Amino acid sequence: MDKKSARNLFIWGSIFFFVVLVILTVDSMKQLDKRTPPITEQIAEGKMAWHKYDCIGCHTILGNGSYFAPDLTKTAENKQEDYLKKWLMDPRAIKPDAAMPNFGITEKEAEDLVALLKWTSKIDTNGWPPPPILAKAADAQAKELTPGQRIYQENRCSSCHSISGIGGTTGPDLSKVADRRDKDWVHKHFKNPQELVPGSAMPSFGHLSEEDLQALTDFIMTLK
Amino acid sequence: MKYKSQKIAYNFFTAAVLFFVVQVVVGLIAAAQFIDPDIFFLPFNIIRSLHINALVVWMLLGLMGATYYLVPEESETELWSPVLASLQFWATIIVVLLVVAGYVIMGLNPQANKIVLGTTLLNEGREYIEAPRWADILIVISVLVFLFNNFMTILKTKKWTSIQGVLLGGLTFLALMYLPGMFFTPSISKDQYWWWWVIHLWVEGSWEVIAGAILCFMLVKLTGTEREELEKYMYIEVGLVLFTGILGLGHHYYWIGTPSYWLWIGGIFSALEPIPLLLMVWDAFRIANKHEAKITNKTAKYYVVGHALLNFVGAGVFGIIHTLPSVNKWTHGTQITTAHGHLAFYGAYALLIIAMIYIALPEMRQVKEFNYKRGLVSFWTMTISMIFISLTLIGAGMTQTIMERMIGMDYISVKTSYNIYFWIFRLIFGFGFIAGVLIFVKDYFTLGKKPV
Repeated sequence: MDKKSARNLFIWGSIFFFVVLVILTVDSMKQLDKRTPPITEQIAEGKMAWHKYDCIGCHTILGNGSYFAPDLTKTAENKQEDYLKKWLMDPRAIKPDAAMPNFGITEKEAEDLVALLKWTSKIDTNGWPPPPILAKAADAQAKELTPGQRIYQENRCSSCHSISGIGGTTGPDLSKVADRRDKDWVHKHFKNPQELVPGSAMPSFGHLSEEDLQALTDFIMTLK
Repeated sequence: MKYKSQKIAYNFFTAAVLFFVVQVVVGLIAAAQFIDPDIFFLPFNIIRSLHINALVVWMLLGLMGATYYLVPEESETELWSPVLASLQFWATIIVVLLVVAGYVIMGLNPQANKIVLGTTLLNEGREYIEAPRWADILIVISVLVFLFNNFMTILKTKKWTSIQGVLLGGLTFLALMYLPGMFFTPSISKDQYWWWWVIHLWVEGSWEVIAGAILCFMLVKLTGTEREELEKYMYIEVGLVLFTGILGLGHHYYWIGTPSYWLWIGGIFSALEPIPLLLMVWDAFRIANKHEAKITNKTAKYYVVGHALLNFVGAGVFGIIHTLPSVNKWTHGTQITTAHGHLAFYGAYALLIIAMIYIALPEMRQVKEFNYKRGLVSFWTMTISMIFISLTLIGAGMTQTIMERMIGMDYISVKTSYNIYFWIFRLIFGFGFIAGVLIFVKDYFTLGKKPV
């Protein structure tokens, strides 16, 4: 190949691949409207707040961002709205050693951001992030769990609390909680956390049946 | 240096070197914040914005300097307007400093990043292109003025060498690919779709085309031979860069809501992306070995060959290890990406620009002989440190992939307990890197000023 044909190949080849990209982009834009939930005004406002506070300067979303703080794509699937709102407005009130500072996010902005996170959690991401292998194994073993353990799992308690190193870090570690609290306290705390721990960010689980609450309490009391 | 007006490149190179220093200093702070988030008075997001924006700025300034140096020499005439180039330089610096001031203000008071006319005032909150919209527009104007000046220079003599054709083509592509990042869309998926046009079609598209042209220019400069042959290979290299890189964009469209055909397109094309980079390594080694006796500028030779090699290792090898969807599903969004980013930018662009500086600097200072040793010491200090920085990040990324993604442990506990030693070692090698940079800076300001 001489220089001139190498040049022509470079020019026409590049144009060809760019045209292919443009065609695929037109199709992707159409399909994105179907693969993502509809956008409300609140979600658009939430995205504006997302940019205003440069959230991507620490977090990732859809896996893209700064790798300094957790990925937020599916956060709203695991954590409740009220809790997220409280966290956004003052993270260190919930977890004093949190890396995230208080940015002065207003209540409205927090609500908008939560709406945005709910929206992102419903994007069809081709199955990303894949469920961890251990979580899949735990699901398979769910039949062997005690009723209390099953309720603990169903209500995603481990997204905030950890037991023996497994689980979230924003709520207190429950590994030895039964040494600190008695049965009545735990039971009452599920129904109304703020009554026993003023300012607590934990949502109430009073909507669970009395039977389930008992089973969950029994499980918590085994954590010594 | 054959033409007086090439000297304008010196301003750009000096500013590039200074922003390089800023980048590594804030990088060190960012690394320390992984160990203690409150160690500095500005939060991590601001430090990171400064770290990656300083990177973009110093590299753009370096590429502009390289172009202002290269075009008069290739066109065999003085620059069309040195005054305009000087104006463009100072205007760019002022805009950049204003943006930096905005970030610092926002770090002290997050509420200062007000929403004005549907866009944020100080920081756009989008990775790499954090600069606010008003600055975007000014930067585009600056790049257009820069392109205009160079095109007018070429038109003076109409000597369209292949090198400057590819270089200016790459730069025009670069300018155009800044535009998809300049509008608001309420969908995060669409936002990231267009955002990747900017980021990917820069670093794995237009910038690599520019690198190919500059590499070719440097090899011609170093040896003074085989121009035709080198230009032919340049076309093949930059052609393959775009044939694989344009659709290789698909490797960013696996998981952001885009259709699943991107898994195939992205997987196949991005797996081919290292091929042109390997060709550049072969080219650089072949020429450097064949004409070793002719090459008097040893420092430049080290940086040129080092650039080709680490471009392949950092961008190519560290890229391909996590580019296939079956792997990327687990590693996407982990420190593996950070490891790849660090070595790729260092190899592909930091070394390229420093190589170009070492080609131009002795000529600008009008010295034939200079002390090569300091340049080599800085090369090895920076390179070894950066390789180890990347290895600590690969370690952290593998730990994160296995513990968080595969086993399902909490992000924070993996980061604060299991990865802490990687952060500490990364910081130590960060100090090593900054030592190498300071040696280079000293060499930059003193090279050729004392007789050998």
